[in-house]
Amino acid sequence: MPERAKMRKPDVKVVILGDMNVGKTSLLHRYTEKKFKDTVSTVGGAFFLKQWGPYNISIWDTAGREQFHGLGSMYCRGASAVILTYDVTNWQSLTELEDRFLSLTDTANADCIYAIVGNKADLTESSAQGPVPEDGQGEQESVGTELRPTGGGSSSGGGGGGGDALHQKQVNQDDALALYARVLRYKGLDGMACPPGESLCFETSAKTGYNVDVLFETIFDMVLPSILKKRREGEPSTVDLEDCRVPKSIKGGCCA
Amino acid sequence: MSVKAFELVPVVERELLTGDKARINIECLECCGKYLYVGTNDCFIHHFLLEEQTIAKGSVVYLSQKLQQKHLGLKKAVSELKAASALERLIVLCDATIYVHDMLSLEVVPSGSAKIKGVLSFCVNENPVSADPFCVELGVISSRRRAVQIYTVHEDRVQLVKELGTPQQPCALSLDGYFLCLALTSQYMILNYSTGASQDLFPYDSEERKPIIKRIGREEFLLAAPGGLGMFANAEGMSQRAPVNWSEDVVGAAVCFPYVVALDEGFVTVHSMLDQQLKQTLSFRDGHILQDFEGKLVLASTKAVYMLVPLPLERQIQDLLAGNRVDEALTLTEGARRNIPKDRFQILHKRILQQAGFIQFGQLQFLEAKEHFRKGQLDVRELISLYPLLLPASSSFARCHPPLHPFADLNQLTQGDQEKVQRCKRFLISYLHEERSSEGQNGVREEVDTALLKLYAEADHESLLDLLASDNACLLADSAPWLEKHHKYFALGLLYHYNGQDASAVQWWVRVVDGDLQDPTRSDLFEYVVDFLSFCPNLDLVWKHADWALKREQKIGAQIFTKRPVDGDQGSKMNPEDVVTYLQKHSHALVLYLEHLVLDQHVQKEKFHSQLALLYTERVLALLSQPSSPAQALSQARSKLQRLLKESTLYRVQMLLGKIDGVDQLLVEQATLRGRLGEHERALHILVHQLQDRSAAEDYCSWAATPQEPALGQQLFHLLLATYLDPDVPGGVDSVAAVDLLNRHGNMFDAVRVLGILPEGWSLQLLRPFLTAAVRKNAHEQRTAQVALGLARSENLQLLHDRLKTRGGPVVVSEKKGCQLCHNTFSEPDCVCLPGGVPVHTHCAAQRLRDSPTKRRLENGSDHT
Repeated sequence: MPERAKMRKPDVKVVILGDMNVGKTSLLHRYTEKKFKDTVSTVGGAFFLKQWGPYNISIWDTAGREQFHGLGSMYCRGASAVILTYDVTNWQSLTELEDRFLSLTDTANADCIYAIVGNKADLTESSAQGPVPEDGQGEQESVGTELRPTGGGSSSGGGGGGGDALHQKQVNQDDALALYARVLRYKGLDGMACPPGESLCFETSAKTGYNVDVLFETIFDMVLPSILKKRREGEPSTVDLEDCRVPKSIKGGCCA
Repeated sequence: MSVKAFELVPVVERELLTGDKARINIECLECCGKYLYVGTNDCFIHHFLLEEQTIAKGSVVYLSQKLQQKHLGLKKAVSELKAASALERLIVLCDATIYVHDMLSLEVVPSGSAKIKGVLSFCVNENPVSADPFCVELGVISSRRRAVQIYTVHEDRVQLVKELGTPQQPCALSLDGYFLCLALTSQYMILNYSTGASQDLFPYDSEERKPIIKRIGREEFLLAAPGGLGMFANAEGMSQRAPVNWSEDVVGAAVCFPYVVALDEGFVTVHSMLDQQLKQTLSFRDGHILQDFEGKLVLASTKAVYMLVPLPLERQIQDLLAGNRVDEALTLTEGARRNIPKDRFQILHKRILQQAGFIQFGQLQFLEAKEHFRKGQLDVRELISLYPLLLPASSSFARCHPPLHPFADLNQLTQGDQEKVQRCKRFLISYLHEERSSEGQNGVREEVDTALLKLYAEADHESLLDLLASDNACLLADSAPWLEKHHKYFALGLLYHYNGQDASAVQWWVRVVDGDLQDPTRSDLFEYVVDFLSFCPNLDLVWKHADWALKREQKIGAQIFTKRPVDGDQGSKMNPEDVVTYLQKHSHALVLYLEHLVLDQHVQKEKFHSQLALLYTERVLALLSQPSSPAQALSQARSKLQRLLKESTLYRVQMLLGKIDGVDQLLVEQATLRGRLGEHERALHILVHQLQDRSAAEDYCSWAATPQEPALGQQLFHLLLATYLDPDVPGGVDSVAAVDLLNRHGNMFDAVRVLGILPEGWSLQLLRPFLTAAVRKNAHEQRTAQVALGLARSENLQLLHDRLKTRGGPVVVSEKKGCQLCHNTFSEPDCVCLPGGVPVHTHCAAQRLRDSPTKRRLENGSDHT
């Protein structure tokens, strides 16, 4: 059962960007429901509220289609983290990140964290194909979709091969690291002050669950300071009517 | 899909408005309270009174009555209408000019200045910044410049507050607080008219598609976005809800929580803001206007007006549940949390959770069902009642009405699939088990425990016994036949016991032990019953079954009496005499019981001791009389007898002696008995000369000496020594035995006496250990005595000190203090204390004593300080 989006106020925003068919929705789905299932092309965008300790994190899953491109900057506004997603079997999807999606992040927070994620690692890495140890169900799910390409990735270089045949890997980890460096330069950020590229470039598989939890949890940990900052800033502007504790009396009584 | 969230209800039919004039169209609408205003393209304003009527099945119909119509005197269409009810004004946009009319008479307000010219479109600020309730804030798009203007409309005047330029020509707007949401030619933007700050939202081609800006709440707008999306944006330019996917050619949109309703050329679509899904589609041709007014959704074609009446939330939820769409139903319910009163919401929410739980239960999704039952605080009896025969017959429970689920019972639910039935039962077991351990089962404990008992019994579950052994509320009348049916006789006994019917409990168990009934629960049931009886406070019951138990096995049966707690209350105590009398016919049990009394309980009663000794003796004699009896049995029996004879002092010696006197095999026993009579010489004689067992003789001396004063011990040892040294007996002097005795028990002898009687010729070497021990003993005694003396002295001194302390404080003598008698000071520490602690000189005291006529001496009054 999906976590129902209750009317909780999110503390922080994480946005997943990337070209269509790279598996953004599948990534989010794998993380939230520990399952891989066929998804349809996302229309407009969707979002999910994640309880992370005492904080609420909203994760926006955007539409990759060109048609919805204009909405991207709105989703990114005020974001604390952006997950730039590409398809490891599709060089073009990495290029698109820089050409089309990077400019959308202009509206994100100044201290926004950028992660570069190469999805569909199961198609090229045998190590990413294994079933997820903590999730027997995931394995069952993947049996059903064994003969289909993940995420309906018809645009990916390899076409609709079987699960066993490894696809041609088109994007290497080094390319992702190079992109990360360029992202920081584009943002005018100091490479030394930012988290190193090694900790923010991931290769994942939404199908097998490989690296997916690591990705989200790493990012959530990194946005914590941002939440705290937001809370600090938010404090003086509103009066909390719920919290009606009597302030500690500071009277300098005569017998003090 | 297939939620019915809204119903389309006609409000103003074509005949009332335009009749058959084909070219006349509805241009704009306003609905304010019971009034509906319709503006047409032939410059008329029609004013209707609406009356809402609820007819059967909760459906709503509207009766509309035309109050009047007003021609504005122009040739242009009436393009926008807004009512300001607080001012009783109707704001009309016609021919690019805003006029202010009276709401009721529809006459233009007399004050001539109340109009704004060059207006493309306007909107009312529903969250005005001004605190004046009799003032309406308008946002106006100028048709002449690229600008927006803010006006305030008062009852009698209109005032320009602010004008702001825009980068492109605006074509639609909405206003909330200071925030203007504008549709420009190629994009949407947010503009703060107070600070002038602007925020681009996203691109949109206003020429290609009509932009839509709909304020949906505080600082939040719904916008038509490219790709047929309804986007949400707040005043900060952020989207806080995921967009809904309506169609490309939407002409109007409205919000009626939790739904976004959109109108396109052929349909009205309803999306939920909670999950962004399409919920309902209504076919509607020639749709022209869709607006919401104070929660009412008004829909118009070019010729007629309709209302979209939201169906009651409960009904929508029930429809969803009827379609087994649990998640959607719950989402909708929880989404309504803010829209209905708290208490009503809680009732609704609970019920929906319960229903959802039953739907999932029906699908055997037990985990989810359990969660929903828990959250919905389900009366667990609802669940139990699904299982045939589980609820006690006496339960007054009746299922909730209207029913929470369509199932009659489990058989109907599973359609007889036994595997499913078993799964359901396992679920109920775990559910009830958890329910039991939680606190929430008020007043339904009986039902819960009884149902659990039945399930356990049926499933042969190990927890059955735990349930019955712990605090429970199982109903006897209902549970007993069930346990009997499932052959759980041991459990049945426990149940009776828990309900205070020990007699029934034991009866059932006896039948199992006897093999009349089969219940493999406990293989040691007999021991259990005996144990049970031994703790049973009901003595009648114990007596009743004691015979049965003893007949079955005396050794275990005797535990009924031997294991009885000693410190029980008076009512449950057994009189040992009665027990002994009762046990006469069960000799083995009697021995066990007497042993329990004499050896374990140390009951000091001659009767028991004698009887036990007698029984032991008889046993020994019986064994002796059968030459074939095993030696081990005999030695065991004898050692028991010997032990009793030595340890007990209460038995009747003469009687026992009469039994065994003359039996040659029982010399040790005879000697012991003689010793009890004080005939130590005789006893020693028996041991030394008849039995010729020296160690037995020494043991005898030690035994006879211990409880009494050591002098007797010494005497006995001397006697023994004398026996060994007696030259007159057959065999003569047994010097080896005598030396051994002296060396081994040296400390038991008076050395001086021994040296006197020893034969002259014995070597010192022979007696060396004895002499060493004797010397050591003497030295030891001397030193011990000295230590004791010292201690006694110090104790005495201590006591003297204490006594003095309690008599009074110290007597202080100093050089500055004068003697009471001569009034000179003291020069020496010696003094005499008069009664009352007054110190005087020794010589003064003596003087006074001499002078005293009675010549009485002061007694014991001196003290030296």
